[in-house]
Amino acid sequence: MSEASYVTELREAAPHAPERLRNLVASTPVAEPRRSVQLRTVVAAGVALSLALGLGAAVIGGLSPSSSENRSGSAAEGRAFAPVHQAGRAQSARPSTMLIPDVAPELTAKSRLQRQDVSMRLRVKDLSGATQSAVRTTRRLGGFVAAADYSTDTNAGNSHLVLRIPVANLQKAIASFTDLGSILSQHISVADLQTGLDRLDARLATARKAGHEKQVTRLERRRAALVREGTYAKVALQLTTTKPAAKHVVPSRFDSFRDDAGDILGREAIGVLYFLVIAGPFILLAALALLAERARRRRADHRLLEETG
Amino acid sequence: MPTSWPTRKRALRDERSFASAAEEHLDDVYRYLLYMTGNPHLAEDLAAETFERALKRWRRFDARRGGARTWLCQLARGTALDHFRSERRRRKREGIYASDIPELDEPVFGEGLSPELDRAVRSLSAAEREVLVLRVVLELDGETAARVLGIRPTAVSTRLSRALQKLEERMVSDVRG
Repeated sequence: MSEASYVTELREAAPHAPERLRNLVASTPVAEPRRSVQLRTVVAAGVALSLALGLGAAVIGGLSPSSSENRSGSAAEGRAFAPVHQAGRAQSARPSTMLIPDVAPELTAKSRLQRQDVSMRLRVKDLSGATQSAVRTTRRLGGFVAAADYSTDTNAGNSHLVLRIPVANLQKAIASFTDLGSILSQHISVADLQTGLDRLDARLATARKAGHEKQVTRLERRRAALVREGTYAKVALQLTTTKPAAKHVVPSRFDSFRDDAGDILGREAIGVLYFLVIAGPFILLAALALLAERARRRRADHRLLEETG
Repeated sequence: MPTSWPTRKRALRDERSFASAAEEHLDDVYRYLLYMTGNPHLAEDLAAETFERALKRWRRFDARRGGARTWLCQLARGTALDHFRSERRRRKREGIYASDIPELDEPVFGEGLSPELDRAVRSLSAAEREVLVLRVVLELDGETAARVLGIRPTAVSTRLSRALQKLEERMVSDVRG
């Protein structure tokens, strides 16, 4: 008897369910179908709900005016490209010619002795050329270089000059320096020395009348120093090749919304990633344990059937 | 308890589809369980239990993931395994090692089956008879049988080949003996 004949015989002689069983199954009362919620449906609904909540939070956060305003404020702070040279007194970069002539004449008074301190920060293209030009201008106008600090590296270069320039030529000097590049910041301070000088003159006259030679000499030295201080203005000139940050443009409503929503989505993504990093190994272990348990159960079932005669 | 109209309509639809599936595949489920247990009475009881389970879980049945026959066979397998497990526990507890298959004179695995072939099938293990009934009697393809058994199709082929080989050996030894 061949294998094919067994197979045919087994098929032909396949048993049929007894009539009793047929009747039993046919008469099985159909219970009210229970609304069972499947795990897959619950998981899918949970994921969808989480996504909706995440997106909703991002949209609400993006539309919230406070966040946009805060963001604009912080962005303005972060993006302001004019570094504050002297807090509260620095000005943003503007066309250089507008700066000094508008401000300096109001602060100075030619009839009085004044100490003038100017600090300027300029961005230049050619650091070496600009430095040399500033030094030449200083000397041409009767001034001198009090201190110099020049440094360059692969990315940027900085040159810091402390110049003493006769007060009479200060405006010319400043006008000349502004042509070296773009002004990033400036600071001008004027202090009146005339009162001190008048007081010294009075004391000197009294000393002369009294015939106190030593006191006269000492007071004359002090007066000469004071006059010198008022004769030469101190100019701190900082030249740099550092490129400015991108110009801050007040973002539109849509841009603010997009940025804020993007930020929130980014934070949510970080949160999800953080959760996955923390919980990932546990989830992986649980999945492996589940697979191992299923494989063990399958082997056990097969062994059970093998043992069953 | 009064039920709303859509719920009753759904229940009616479920009832109709379950009833047709049960009627269509009752023989297959019974055959499968008969081959697994080798006991017509037990197979009858387990088949009834299988259809009771099937009715409770009918809403979970998804035709896209396999036919009703495959799903019912999977349920039948689970029912049979539960029975075998409880039997093993009972035997351990009571110290009985008798076989479930009754020593009957008439063929168990089908009317008209030769006594030699019936004895040979009876001598196989439940695992071997299981793959035999799925692939030979119910004529399921390898992939569907693998889905019922929860193994790979290649494993099904291997098991079937071994079962048929063993069956032939038993037949030959029976004829010679």
